[in-house]
Amino acid sequence: MDASTPSATTMTVKDTSLFYGGFRAVKDINLHFRPHAVTAIIGSSGCGKSTMLRSLNRINDRVNGFRVEGTISLGDQDVYAPTTDVVDLRRRVGMVFQRPNPFPMSIFDNVAFGLTLYAPPKRADLEMMVETALRASALWGEVKDKLRRPATELSGGQQQRLCIARAIATRPDVLLMDEPCSALDPISTLKVEELIAELKRSYTVVIVTHNMQQAARASDVTVMMNMDEADRAGHVIEVGATDDIFTNPQHPQTEAYVSGRFG
Amino acid sequence: MNSDTREILATKDVAWERRIMAARRRATLIDRAMTGVMSLAALFLVIVLSGVIFIILRAGLPAISWTFLTTASSITDPGGGIGPQIWVTMYILVLSLAIVTPIGVGAAIYLSEYARPGPITNAIRFSTEALASVPSVVFGVFGAIVFLTIMNLGFSVLSGSLTLALLNLPLMVRIAEDAIRAVPTAYREASLALGGSRWETIRKAVLPSALPGIITALVLTGGRIIGETAPLILTTGTTISPNAQYSLNPLQTGETLAVHIWVLKIVGVPGLQDAQLVADGSAAVLLLIVLIINVGMAYFTNRLTQRLRGASGAPRAGGSKKG
Ligand SMILES: Nc1ncnc2c1ncn2[C@@H]1O[C@H](COP(=O)(O)OP(=O)(O)O)[C@@H](O)[C@H]1O
Ligand SMILES: [Mg+2]
Repeated sequence: MDASTPSATTMTVKDTSLFYGGFRAVKDINLHFRPHAVTAIIGSSGCGKSTMLRSLNRINDRVNGFRVEGTISLGDQDVYAPTTDVVDLRRRVGMVFQRPNPFPMSIFDNVAFGLTLYAPPKRADLEMMVETALRASALWGEVKDKLRRPATELSGGQQQRLCIARAIATRPDVLLMDEPCSALDPISTLKVEELIAELKRSYTVVIVTHNMQQAARASDVTVMMNMDEADRAGHVIEVGATDDIFTNPQHPQTEAYVSGRFG
Repeated sequence: MNSDTREILATKDVAWERRIMAARRRATLIDRAMTGVMSLAALFLVIVLSGVIFIILRAGLPAISWTFLTTASSITDPGGGIGPQIWVTMYILVLSLAIVTPIGVGAAIYLSEYARPGPITNAIRFSTEALASVPSVVFGVFGAIVFLTIMNLGFSVLSGSLTLALLNLPLMVRIAEDAIRAVPTAYREASLALGGSRWETIRKAVLPSALPGIITALVLTGGRIIGETAPLILTTGTTISPNAQYSLNPLQTGETLAVHIWVLKIVGVPGLQDAQLVADGSAAVLLLIVLIINVGMAYFTNRLTQRLRGASGAPRAGGSKKG
């Protein structure tokens, strides 16, 4: 390994609204995702959490009619500037999806996918990078003897950790996760949560979750979103240190939501 | 995660980044070039398509008039039309599709939903594929033996339709089966878990999603039927009896538009001065029929899928979609 620089980077969302065609799904967002911290986005279904998250790495560009107003930046780079290299952006902002989506390939090839895209490293280096990523996602012990087996043979929880390994293997600056545990059993969920807590040392982590305990356990900052009944657009109700949000919420809707009385 | 791993992941490997960035510049160029290549291929396609339409219509449109479309053809005097040929073409199209669709879709459903996967099913699938590539004239010979000689149906619209139905059966099965197998297993399980029977599950959870694919199979098959000549010459003939020009009797001989063009252009009709013009007009009409059928089917499929899936395009009301 060569001379190195720290990688985690701040993401900032300023005065942003997100549209599907004429429908404003999310409005007036101002957020700051800190490096080396986990930011949890919570809020009831359909309030625009995924839309918010998916606009951060421009994966929502693929949705017909999707449109952004406002400014989103990664460090000092404007994510939606016409000059922005979207491919490079997505290399720097990794994503883990709600449902584990391993490729129909071997476990090894899944993790190696991002690493071999442009300048495939030497075999020995590649093997080491894959191992590092699998160790980091706490999967190495379980798969080290079957790296050549199809990834689809793994359990759901293992598959999700494999997807995390795949996402961090290329060492992005930011890691986005959209309800990464919603398809997992409690044990796997705990493993992924421990993993998230570890990952924040290296990355800026943003996670959407429906699980209040998860937000409370795994995050440092919590963003509470809700839908404005008037125009059905999602917006931010409250942002704060996770401890404050859960013990001393300022907004009655947050209070009701985190105590499980609605949502 | 031990501190080593953490250390590695927390830092950027500068040399590696530099290598990637260099490679990425090349990759960006390749990416652009490939966009160009695909666009060129698409452009070529558009040029070919519009070229075909333009040239065929330019040659044929001058011949087309209401009289041309409605009067009987003549092999002796100029000024003959193609009315009966259009009739026979549509008759054979409808009859063949009516025969091949239920059998083809039924077999496709059987292969994908009922047949236990294994060597036998695979063998059937493989044979179907092989059969789909047998030249149509071979089916013509087969049809002539079975329908004319053995079943004694004579040169007739029925013999021709049966032959074309057999000819298109393998293709129909292959495309329909692919469409049905592409329907996610989750839909079947959702319906079965609600207590749906096998047939109810197929009818309400599987077929609606497979329908666009099945309609594609129908359109492709229809196109082949309209354009086929060799098997029809061997089973339906090349003449339309003057006293049965718009007959519904399936045992009449007949001549489709495609066969008519073949007669005029290839066999030749000595003494008929406007043979070339009639042939060009027929080709244009054939093209227009195919275009109309395709556009109609596309519209129909679109409407149908929208009805089945819930109108798409319009944004859904907030909260309707569980994220
Ligand atoms: N592809 C899409 N096209 C149109 N509307 C969409 C699309 N995806 C989501 N929406 C709408 O945007 C709103 C927010 O959805 P989403 O971001 O998925 O919410 P969440 O993740 O908080 O459950 C919802 O009203 C939803 O119906
Ligand atoms: Mg969501």
